[in-house]
Amino acid sequence: MIQPFTPDPLRWVADDGQPIRELPARFTPGVLRDLHRDMVRAREFDRKLVTLLRQGRTTFYAQSRGMEATQVGLARSIRVGHDWVWPYYRDHALGLTLGVPLLDLVSQCLGTNSDPSRGRQMPHHFAAKRQNFVSISSSIASQVPPAAGNALAQKYLGVDEITVCTFGDGATSEGDWHAGVNMAAVNAAPCLFVCENNQWAISTPLRGQMASETVHVKARAYGMPGYLVDGNDIIAVMEVMSHVAQEIRQGSGPALVECLTYRVGSHSNADADAEKNYRTREEVALWTGRDPITRVEGLLEHLGHPVSAEERAGLIAATHREVDEAVRQAEASGQPDWRIMFEDVYADLPVHLREQAASLRAEQTGGQA
Amino acid sequence: MTATESRPTAQGGGTQGPRTLTLIQAVTEALREELSRDERVVVFGQDVAARGGVFLATAGLQAEFGERRVFDTPLSEASIVGAAVGMAVRGMRPVAEIQFADYMGPGFDQIVSQAAKIRYRSGGQFTAPLVIRTPSGGGVKGGHHHSQSPEAYYTHTPGLKVVMPSTPYDAKGLLKAAIRGHDPVILFEPKRLYRAAKGEVPAADYTVELGRGAVRREGRDLTLIGYGGVMPDVEKAAQALSKEGVEAEVIDLRSLVPWDRDLVLTSVEKTGRAVLVSEAPRTANFMGEVAYVIQEALFDRLLAPVSQVAGFDTPYPYVQDRIYLPGANRIAAACVKTLNF
Repeated sequence: MIQPFTPDPLRWVADDGQPIRELPARFTPGVLRDLHRDMVRAREFDRKLVTLLRQGRTTFYAQSRGMEATQVGLARSIRVGHDWVWPYYRDHALGLTLGVPLLDLVSQCLGTNSDPSRGRQMPHHFAAKRQNFVSISSSIASQVPPAAGNALAQKYLGVDEITVCTFGDGATSEGDWHAGVNMAAVNAAPCLFVCENNQWAISTPLRGQMASETVHVKARAYGMPGYLVDGNDIIAVMEVMSHVAQEIRQGSGPALVECLTYRVGSHSNADADAEKNYRTREEVALWTGRDPITRVEGLLEHLGHPVSAEERAGLIAATHREVDEAVRQAEASGQPDWRIMFEDVYADLPVHLREQAASLRAEQTGGQA
Repeated sequence: MTATESRPTAQGGGTQGPRTLTLIQAVTEALREELSRDERVVVFGQDVAARGGVFLATAGLQAEFGERRVFDTPLSEASIVGAAVGMAVRGMRPVAEIQFADYMGPGFDQIVSQAAKIRYRSGGQFTAPLVIRTPSGGGVKGGHHHSQSPEAYYTHTPGLKVVMPSTPYDAKGLLKAAIRGHDPVILFEPKRLYRAAKGEVPAADYTVELGRGAVRREGRDLTLIGYGGVMPDVEKAAQALSKEGVEAEVIDLRSLVPWDRDLVLTSVEKTGRAVLVSEAPRTANFMGEVAYVIQEALFDRLLAPVSQVAGFDTPYPYVQDRIYLPGANRIAAACVKTLNF
């Protein structure tokens, strides 16, 4: 039985991959290998995108290195294209695992014609209708009240869906976070709140962010269960998420799951020297030793199904090829036409935008309207 | 009524002819009819259920439509507006009430970052067709937290539509059009006209298209343009001028985003003079945009500079409530000055 409000993070597998609880039967070696592949794919996507950034082919990227178990585990615990997700800006591993095409993700980061968001948003802020993956917003915690409303609509419409809302630890300082969580709780809306607690809000550590011991205890004040999970243990993430999602589906109302993890990389390219500026080498080394991918590799080895060096290298190479191909296709699709700028502001183009578009057309064509 | 408004039909309403309603009765009737017409419509906010809203705009609706269609929320503008965004994205038609426009501050980020942007930033994959209704403007001795006119903040945000009626007919027709539309709309309701403005409203179904102004009075000497709570004073000023032999054409903008530039420009081209009236503070007032467009399009046709009568750049005062507002005298004086330029 999975209990809320535990003082220590719920975990199934130790840092070195040794099980510390009986492994649920569904985690067969085959399933574990699939999860391992998903996490490697997400990490290598990260690596390649940082390279693209350094090459100047994109302008912004927020790494999720170290947080793969939280995001992949969450994605594998909900119903793709059925449940709804209001994500935050570091959720590409979540999107990727939910099945957002890698080409769409790369295209969004490059702002090319193949970007489903049509080049309107800064890189790494994608939206995917097929996965009910609602557009990522930069403004912190602003997705939380809408997620509550989304869940309220699901309850009203009587549909068998839940809403997932993700955010970082910093978001819990925002008024919108409290407003949204309370709104969902009061209305018993089917909303799964997931805190990806990576312990840093840009350069502000958790202790500068909150005086409470953990995030998950805040759930008690709102009248909902709160769970604390080792976010680098994908078994723990999936066990708790599946359990909580099931409870929510059965009408329990919202719940909060805090996944304790770590942002190994910098916040973004804007603070590339995170270690030098505001974190210690020791802290980063400690958490690198708790890596979610090597933990699953340790578990597979323990179960007698080790991932060989060749296999891992093959996975990495395959992802790199996949990203390279996506970049090629994205760049070949060209830049979005200037006309796109005026579309989707409103359902229809009002007269003042029509005139502004006409004036830009004249400018673009040297007066030839 | 303009040619683009939908004319009354028997659908959604009774078969009786026009009745005289107050502006707030027209709002209630619009909500009742839209709740009846479309199951996806829900009405919510602070105190809207059993109490019927602070001005009683939603009185009786919960009793009629039940606790799921008309409900109270926690006291949080961020969650009221934010929940409306999420409900709209998931396929409903939320109509949220904010008790006073002055209180929209905590919901501001939800309005500008979420409601206004989600269609654009998702490439049209997700949309938020919601309506926020809120009483605005002064004249009720409410002090600055119950009297402000913050519409300019929202007109400055692409993706939002902003409307402000001054008659019961327009209040009902604009609200119904907003609920049926596909964009987020903020409907500012001039609170001092809630019960002061009375007029004929058809019992049958009709809408007023967003973006169309209305000519309230025809004239040849100058064009007086206003919206919302100032309109009765604008018309009073026009009547006073008429007694002096000056015929002002009076235009009620009704919609600020989008606004009816053709109507305004046609009129000012005819009269050669424009006086713009609003009660919002003068600096960065929405009428500054109207003035800009007039001078850009009609510079060589203008017989006098475009003039503005507005509120003052002070927080809205309590004791000087009526002095702050641009009354008929101040409006008429601005017209005389323009005529004598």
